[in-house]
Amino acid sequence: MSRARDSRSAAVPAPRRSRSHDRATGSGAPRGGAPGAGTGGAGEAGAGTGGTGEAGAGTGGRPTPHHAYPDAPRPPALAATAAIALGSAAGLLVLLGQLSGSARVFPGEVVLALVLAAATFAFGFWLFRRIRPVRTPDRFPCAVAALWGLTAATGAAVIANSALRSAWSSVLGLDLATAWGAALTAPFNEELLKLAGVVLVATAFPRALRGPADGFVLGALAGLGFEVTENLLYAVSAIVQSGATAGALSVVQSAVLRVGVTGPGSHWAMTAVAGTALGLLAPVAWRPPPGRAAAATGLVLLAMAMHWLLDAPVFGNTVPVILAKVLVIFTAAMLVYLAARRDHRRRVRAALAAGGAAEGLPRSAALALASRGGRYRELRRSAPGDHAPVRERQRRLLDDAEEAAAISRGAAPS
Amino acid sequence: MAPGTDAQRPHAPPHAGGSWWPPGLAVGAVAVLVTAWPLLDRVLPGTEPVRSGHALAVGSSEDVEAELTFRRDGWALRTGTSTAERVYHFSRGPAELTLSTVTPTTAVPPTAPELWRGLDRTLRAGDGSTRLGPPDPTRAEDGTRGLTGTLTSDTESGTAVLYPSPDGRFAVSMTLTGRDATRADLADVDDVLTSITFTREDA
Repeated sequence: MSRARDSRSAAVPAPRRSRSHDRATGSGAPRGGAPGAGTGGAGEAGAGTGGTGEAGAGTGGRPTPHHAYPDAPRPPALAATAAIALGSAAGLLVLLGQLSGSARVFPGEVVLALVLAAATFAFGFWLFRRIRPVRTPDRFPCAVAALWGLTAATGAAVIANSALRSAWSSVLGLDLATAWGAALTAPFNEELLKLAGVVLVATAFPRALRGPADGFVLGALAGLGFEVTENLLYAVSAIVQSGATAGALSVVQSAVLRVGVTGPGSHWAMTAVAGTALGLLAPVAWRPPPGRAAAATGLVLLAMAMHWLLDAPVFGNTVPVILAKVLVIFTAAMLVYLAARRDHRRRVRAALAAGGAAEGLPRSAALALASRGGRYRELRRSAPGDHAPVRERQRRLLDDAEEAAAISRGAAPS
Repeated sequence: MAPGTDAQRPHAPPHAGGSWWPPGLAVGAVAVLVTAWPLLDRVLPGTEPVRSGHALAVGSSEDVEAELTFRRDGWALRTGTSTAERVYHFSRGPAELTLSTVTPTTAVPPTAPELWRGLDRTLRAGDGSTRLGPPDPTRAEDGTRGLTGTLTSDTESGTAVLYPSPDGRFAVSMTLTGRDATRADLADVDDVLTSITFTREDA
């Protein structure tokens, strides 16, 4: 509690100056961790500071003195960055090997497929960043998560899936393997491959994954990348499967089916659910208590089950059945999203109320900052010359509120 | 919107871990998936023998079903690279037979020459040096009309055939080649190229 009292008594700008100084000089605070928490573990930070966790619950304490910023990336972050770069390069090579022959012979069709893929990606990238509660996430980690899905995960899936499906053909026979091969292969391989990318992004950019809502968004983006590349591969495959007599039509039909029919319940939804699991683990420094570990495991298994449902030849392969499956998957993803969103907003609003009180802001004004509309309205009300300082104050309050929310999440029981 | 407030601070939060195990586990999982399954596939038998006289359903539409019958012993189906009713890879000694079923999606079914050109492009997408010769008419054992021609590439040569189904809803193509196969090797087994039958469901 004494720490919380110290925080409250500190003038609001003071921690900012101190933090800026720390960042500028690369000195002062321990790297990436709370004072006294040598490994920087969230569990330790939350448990060690106590009051910081309470700050999110509205005790009025601000987390500012307790969070510091690393002056340089840690070795695991560097290693994760290298792994992402290598994995993406390797995946890209595999995909180029898959597509180069078709691109040579069907250049117009492949360009059309690329344009449709790019449009899908652009819309998805905007949408999935936009749905993060409170504010849009940092663009770069989001792009890296999507890049992993676009290249590394798909390239690895090409290798792993073909080998496992071939093995299933040997074990089950061709007919059974053709019918069930996707359901017995993709949910396991692809969900793990996509999720591995989210783990690496969370390690390389720890601030990008501070809770379930962040996990949902990063997972959705990794899944989006995977889905877009898979759509491209399927579109090119559709040219061949239709006899290569009307390639553009085959590409468009494939895109309509995979974006318009199965798209709402495809890879983005599955990996978003699995990514939410990582959002439960990262705030406790990947050392979850049993309850939280069970919840995370359940979410990953749910993602695999969603994938299995879409791929399994159960109930037939008619359009109504596929639409029903997509609806189930979409609903499951939305339920997970709403729970993550609610948790994030609740914690941030509590922290905003506390932070606003420390600055003398009315509670309603502080809480309004939790929404984009609220921030916009405050900006509109302010004099034109005040926009920059108002915006800066909003950013500062939100930074600290989300920091407090992350710390409270790490300190909270499972 | 207040875009200026949306940018978040970079770098690490308080829980920014120095832990190696999450990225290690992630990289390990990827490495295992791309190596373990290929190794498992390698130790499993990748082929299964095809009995003489065995009729294999290789394609169908609402009204027509196509079956390929193997008159000779010694053919083996490569299960790992085959997909039922879409693509089959067979081998018999040095001879290799690839059968593909395509399903045009146009409202008006393409003609046989159009399908032949499509087959040419499809083969070139797989191997840029592959070329199909000009097609000649041929007939399957059941009388179904098709096209046949030579197939050449930098590494092998052989014969291609293509049969549009009687209702035009799908077509079956076959290529008989072999990197180490002589003309005599292929001639010994080329009866398989005509041993396809198209049966109307109501027949």
